[in-house]
This record gives sequence, C-alpha cells and structure tokens, in this order.
Amino acid sequence: MKKVLEARMVRKIFVEGAQRVEVLRGVSLDVSAGEIVSLEGPSGSGKTTLLSIMGCILTPSAGEIQIGGRQISGDEKALREARRTSIGFVFQQFNLFPALTARENIIYALSIKGRKGVAALLEADRVIDAVGLADRRDFLPRDLSGGQKQRVAIARALAGSPEVILADEPTANLDSTVGVQILDLFRNLAKSENKGLIIVTHDPKVRRVADRVVGIADGLLLQEAHAA
Amino acid sequence: MVSLARKNLFHDRIRFGITLAGVAFAVTLILLQVGLFLGMLDKATVSIRKSNVDIWIVGKNTPNIDFGKPFPDTAFLRARGLPGVERADNAILQFINIQLPTGATENAQVYGLADPVFWGLPWKVEIGRAHELSRGYNLIMDRSAVRRFGAFEVGEYREVGGRRFRIIGRSAEAESFTTTPVVFMDFDNAQSLVEQLRGQTTYVLVKVVPGSDPEQVAARLRPMFPHNDVHTRDEWATRSRGYWIKSTGIGMSMGVTVFLGVLVGVVIVGQTLYTSAIENIRQFGTVKAIGGSNWDIYSILGEQALIAAVLGFLLGAGASYAVRPAMATLHLTVLLSPEFSGVVFVGTVTMCLAAALFSFRRVALIDPALVFRG
Repeated sequence: MKKVLEARMVRKIFVEGAQRVEVLRGVSLDVSAGEIVSLEGPSGSGKTTLLSIMGCILTPSAGEIQIGGRQISGDEKALREARRTSIGFVFQQFNLFPALTARENIIYALSIKGRKGVAALLEADRVIDAVGLADRRDFLPRDLSGGQKQRVAIARALAGSPEVILADEPTANLDSTVGVQILDLFRNLAKSENKGLIIVTHDPKVRRVADRVVGIADGLLLQEAHAA
Repeated sequence: MVSLARKNLFHDRIRFGITLAGVAFAVTLILLQVGLFLGMLDKATVSIRKSNVDIWIVGKNTPNIDFGKPFPDTAFLRARGLPGVERADNAILQFINIQLPTGATENAQVYGLADPVFWGLPWKVEIGRAHELSRGYNLIMDRSAVRRFGAFEVGEYREVGGRRFRIIGRSAEAESFTTTPVVFMDFDNAQSLVEQLRGQTTYVLVKVVPGSDPEQVAARLRPMFPHNDVHTRDEWATRSRGYWIKSTGIGMSMGVTVFLGVLVGVVIVGQTLYTSAIENIRQFGTVKAIGGSNWDIYSILGEQALIAAVLGFLLGAGASYAVRPAMATLHLTVLLSPEFSGVVFVGTVTMCLAAALFSFRRVALIDPALVFRG
C-alpha cells in the first residue's frame, strides 16, 4: 500500500523561559492509503503534539514529515500549502462555522483550498451525500444533532480529496450509539475513498474500526498492535 | 462563493446593529455638524455671492463683510475714472440699533445702498420694490428678522438709529453669519444714522464693464487705493469665510467635532470587530488549520468593516438628509452637498478599515493548534 504519511524520528521541544520540555522524543509513524490508525495515550503523552506536527500545524524540532512522498519543509507557506491540499481535519469540538449551512461550511473550506464555483458545489454535494446528510445540507449547525455536526465535519475533511485525514477525539462529544455510527462512517469512507486516517482518542471503541493501534506515552511510541 | 464575513456579520444581529448604530451616529454627527457649519458660512458670504458686485473696495485689513471699516466717501470717484469700470458706488454695512414695538432694542445689520436694484442688494424681494428705498425714510426688512424682531407687516414703522422708518418691503435669503437680522435702506439714510459715518463709507462697490476681467481691473485699482484693500468677489468671499473659520475658533470647534465623530466611529467599530474577532477566534483558528492564511482572515475582517461602513453611512446620511427639513423650521441651514457626502463616505470607509486594523494584529497571532483544544 502506498504510504501517504511518514513521520521520521520526530522530536519536539517546547521552551518556556529557562524550561525545556521535550514532548516528543523521536517518534516514527507511517500511515498507508486506506489505513486507519488509532493513536492512544494518556493526557500529556504527546499525542496532540504529534497530531499537530503530522497535520503541518506545528514544525518538529528534529525529524521529518513526508506526505504523499513529499517532504514538508518547516516554513509557514509550505506547511499551509500541505494543510490546504493534503490534509483533512476532524475536531473534537466539530469547529463548524456557525453562520454557514452544512453545505456552505464545505464550500467555504473548498474555497480556502482554491476550489470555487460549480466544481466546489458539486464536490460539496458529493461529500455531503457520502456522509448521509443530503437532506440536511441547508441546515445551520445549531439545527443539527452532535452526530450530524460531526458528519458535516467529516464531509468537510473529505472535501478536496486530501491524502490524509487526522481526527482528534472525534467521538468525545457524542453519545455511545452515535459514536459507533461515526466510527463506522469513518471506516467506510477511509476504505472507499482510500484515505489514510489517524484517530487520536481515549475511546476504546475506536479499536473496533482501526487497522492498527499505536500507543504513546511520555513522548515515545509504546507498542503497535493490529486491531481485530 | 460563500462569504463567511457577511454570514458572520448578519448571524449576530445585535452586535451588527450596535456596529451600524455606531457608524451611523458618527456619520450623522459629522454630516450635521459640518453641514450646519457650512450653512453658517454660506450665510456669511451670501450677500457677496448673490449681489451684482464684481469688486469690493474695503477699509485696510477689513477681516470680513460684517466688520466694515469707514473711509472717505469720495473714494468711489477715483474708481469710476478707471477704464474697465462700468460703475462704482458707496455702500455702508453697519450694525445699528432698532427699536421694536415691544419697547426692546435689538441690533440690525443695515445695508445702505445708492442703487439697490443695480447692485442686487437685496437680491430677492418678496414684497415691495427696492428702488423706492431712496424715496424717504424707507427700509426693506428680511423675512428672517421675524425670529428676533417679531412679526412685521409692510406699511408698519420701526425706529432705526433714533429715526422712524417705514417698512416698504420684505426680502428673503438675506441672513448673516451672526444671525443679526438684515435691513436694507438708502445709502444717505444709513450714513446719516451714525455720527462716525458722516462723510464716510465702509465699502465701494465696483461693477466692471462686460467682457473685462475683474481680476485685472482689481489689479489696476490697488495702486489707486493704497489705504484700502481691493478684493474680487471670490477673494472677498474667501477672506470673509476664512475669518470665521480661522479667527474665531469655530473652525477648531468643528475640527474637534469631526475628530470626536471619527473617534466614536473608530472606537465602536474597532471594539465590536475586535470583540467579534476574539469571540470567533476558534473559527479563525479553523480557517488557518484548513489552510487559510492571515490574509484570508484579514479579508474577512476587512469585508465586515466595509459592510459596516457602507450600511452605516447610508443610515447616517439618510438620517442627516431626513432631519434637514426639521432643522430648517428652526432656521438652521444644514448644507449637504454630494461632494461633501462623498468625502464623508470615503472617510467612513477609511475609518472602519482603520478600526479593523486593531483586530488584524490579534488574529495574526492566532495559533491554528488551538483547534485541538477542547
């Protein structure tokens, strides 16, 4: 399988005054197209920092990141370009734009990615259909349930066909039943659209859909296991 | 194309209403205050602009038309002899007491003219005939005098400078910057009312022959009147207007008002946009996380500022134009020209964009990683 994301010996040190905190201490992680990786670890283990680095939001202090075989340099323009073209995000808090309808949320995200007009409209409808929200496309986020909001967020992450989708605690704000539905949707879409998917989570249900479970503690990957 | 700026703005209607109210208030304040000031300045020079006078010969260093300085009344003869001058006459403009029927005494601004019809002073006569001013102790009173002098009728008498005058007509539009009511009478009558004006005049009015250039004629008159100033119509109007703006503090006062209006606008728009930016910081973080740049966020704030400017200006300008008739009933002239409104519009847009700059610095510092915080 083609590797869509490769993190090589990634280190991250935060300096606050005289204090140096090494949050990641040489982490390597690959994700292939169509693969789902569950990244698990306690609070403060470094999983969100790793997610931010793999999502090109933070730059590593050392090590390298490759997305789709392209090495990502550390300058802000290159990072932004990678976020625009190669990465989709799904957040714990959904982070939808409250004044925009479901469809407009996706069209706006596509406009940031440089896709406008009819092409953006068609792509928005495609991903909304893919997450099963065709009948809610003109609803504002306030009129959607938690599960529906997360579906819109997933559709937004899918829009523009990024190679990798990074999800941060996507089921944390959902009840158990809806959480399972969302995870099933994730699995189906990752497989059908051939996306590399990393889910940072505390939720054990994620293991049910993951191809691989990776643990992290104190800035180091602990073990890898192939999920059932 | 989805406009996040516009959608966000209209999504929070209360905040948007406050923003619009702030901009509209600033625009109204500036338009009305400056409009009133322009209206007053218009009155300060109305007789210069409306009369048939091409050149004004005035006492040395006379600051404006209201404060004429006496000089010998034979001076006009020198002007008459100059080629290019069609006619030159004396004129007096003097504040003189007028006795009202109530027994009260008020000040009147008296125009004394040798040939009021030729000089177009008064230029708009509603009742009566100006050429009859010289036939005895007659006067024409402007309709605006009603405010200070009370109602008057043609045929009534008023005591001016201790002498009984008959009101033979009523003029219109002849108002002064000082709001002192304007009265027109014959030059000799005006001259005889004030002891200091015996053998004196305060102005020589000059009409150039058709086809002559008033500027050139004025240039030739200046050496002939070394103890006077010679102004063309435009120069005299500018000087009179400039006196009120520069020498009285009124211009400064207007400047302060405009500054306060702009300050109110900047503070309200800046504060609401900044608060909005802070409250929407997670949204802006999301924009950055999905690949948006600072410029994408600046354009959101800029578009919001622009919308607030345009709609706020329309509201403020609409209100200003709407209250003009009500102000007119209070005898307050609000002079609003399309040019002035255009300047205020450009100023409003600039003001709102400047206010948005406060938020630019804040959003530039947004860390997209905040989207991962719960």
